[in-house]
Amino acid sequence: MPLPDPTVSPGGSAPSSGVTRRSFLRGTVALSGVAALAAALAPLRKLDDFTTVERFMQKYYKELTPEEMAAVLRRIANDVEHEYGIRPHVRDLKPMDGVEFVYALNLTRCIGCRKCVHACVNENNQSRNPEIQYIRVLRLPHGSLDIEKAEHNYAPESVPEKGYFYMPVQCQQCKNPPCVKVCPVHATWQETDGITVVDYDWCIGCRYCEAACPYWARRFNFAKPSLPKDRLNPDMAYLGNRPRRQGVMEKCHFCIQRTRAGRYPACLEVCPAGARKFGNILDPESEVAYILRTKRVFIQLKEEMGTSPRFFYYFDI
Amino acid sequence: METKPLSVANSDGSKALWVLLGLLAAFAGLAAAFVLDLWGHSAPAAVIPPVDLKFLDTDTVRRSYADLVRAKEDLTDFDCYGCHERGKPPVLAFDANHNLVVPEVHSDVVMGHGRHNRNNLCFNCHDENNLEVFQTRDGRELKFADSPQLCGSCHGPTLRDWEAGVHGRTSGYWNRSLGPIDRKLCVNCHNPHSPKFPGRPPAPGPHLLHPVETTAVDPTGH
Repeated sequence: MPLPDPTVSPGGSAPSSGVTRRSFLRGTVALSGVAALAAALAPLRKLDDFTTVERFMQKYYKELTPEEMAAVLRRIANDVEHEYGIRPHVRDLKPMDGVEFVYALNLTRCIGCRKCVHACVNENNQSRNPEIQYIRVLRLPHGSLDIEKAEHNYAPESVPEKGYFYMPVQCQQCKNPPCVKVCPVHATWQETDGITVVDYDWCIGCRYCEAACPYWARRFNFAKPSLPKDRLNPDMAYLGNRPRRQGVMEKCHFCIQRTRAGRYPACLEVCPAGARKFGNILDPESEVAYILRTKRVFIQLKEEMGTSPRFFYYFDI
Repeated sequence: METKPLSVANSDGSKALWVLLGLLAAFAGLAAAFVLDLWGHSAPAAVIPPVDLKFLDTDTVRRSYADLVRAKEDLTDFDCYGCHERGKPPVLAFDANHNLVVPEVHSDVVMGHGRHNRNNLCFNCHDENNLEVFQTRDGRELKFADSPQLCGSCHGPTLRDWEAGVHGRTSGYWNRSLGPIDRKLCVNCHNPHSPKFPGRPPAPGPHLLHPVETTAVDPTGH
């Protein structure tokens, strides 16, 4: 950067190189300042996948026309193929008419084996390191439903253990979701089939929803998610299990890529004890309708919060 | 801003020079610190091994007779009259504690059905006059493939729940108009001779950045 030198007058006694000590030092200081600034901005180089023009200019999910949505899905498929080498099948599945999803979990049957936790991670392309898991299995002593006595780091030789029961907790898909109310940018909302979804391209990562959720159901990508290529699930949905970026929030979405295609969620299919039941509560013939009609449906977790979960715990003995 | 003192006197000029040199050193130090990532990234990432694939499989605990037939597997275990003689009901033997003595050839059968294992009479379910079928207590004859009806002849409420899709494993489609539902039989999960659901090792729990001691909670709540 050339600097004017007040001490050098034309025709004066300046060295033939034209550089005085003062101008040299100023130049050095200025250069090192620029270098320090560049070094300070160096971490930005690691954010090479931070955004692209296409993603940055993307409109709000609810304002996208079908053509624009098709372009977005193509863009996501390209990004995934670029990063993981697998061409995914990305869809934008809409809620079905006359369907409201409800989950019912049989506390009598759950053996606490945590298979649901890992089936969920595998299905929904969560980060393996740092670890993001939508389901936490709580171990509680018999005779109490006091969450304060719950333990989720249990590691015995074999489950179930004598004297305990197990209560898996995940997003409760509330009818009155506090997480949706606090989102400053409307990046999370409740769909007509009862699933509260997150648009990962709209989320600004403020984590208000995480603080608002009484169930600790929301997970934040503090670091860039790491996902082994051989464990990638290529059946993806826009509001579901497409790979996330650093700095966005995610949570259980009842396996939207499966359930909106008519299938059962992954955690249900893997449960060895058949403790998990899922279905359309508006269909009186469904399993969940039968359960809510005939079983001792004991709790909606933290019922007193007024969140009105669509996730029910019941007993059958 | 520093041009004014610089132009005043020589002694002030050398002072300014030291200030500039100090600034230069500070900037250079900062630049080096930023380049070398001296702070903020010191903690190494935890090593988390990928979860064992056995925790992801959706297979049932056991395979039913119907599964074996479908997979065209060896059914010699179900060929009763390969060894037994027709028209000659097998004789059961009991020890002093009234426990069934399981013969050597059936040593794979571990009896543990009912409270205190009291449902230990083979012919409560098997038909002694035709070992290839079951008999219920109310005199119905059932094929091996129809075993849920046999179980339900005692466990009525459970059979009712199973028929409603509420007891036991399901997979496939909740929306029957889009695809089939896959129901499992009682014997896919329960060993009929010892029906209590078996324990198993749990999948790994959450990996913590700072491992904590798991404190055992007293089940009695004291």
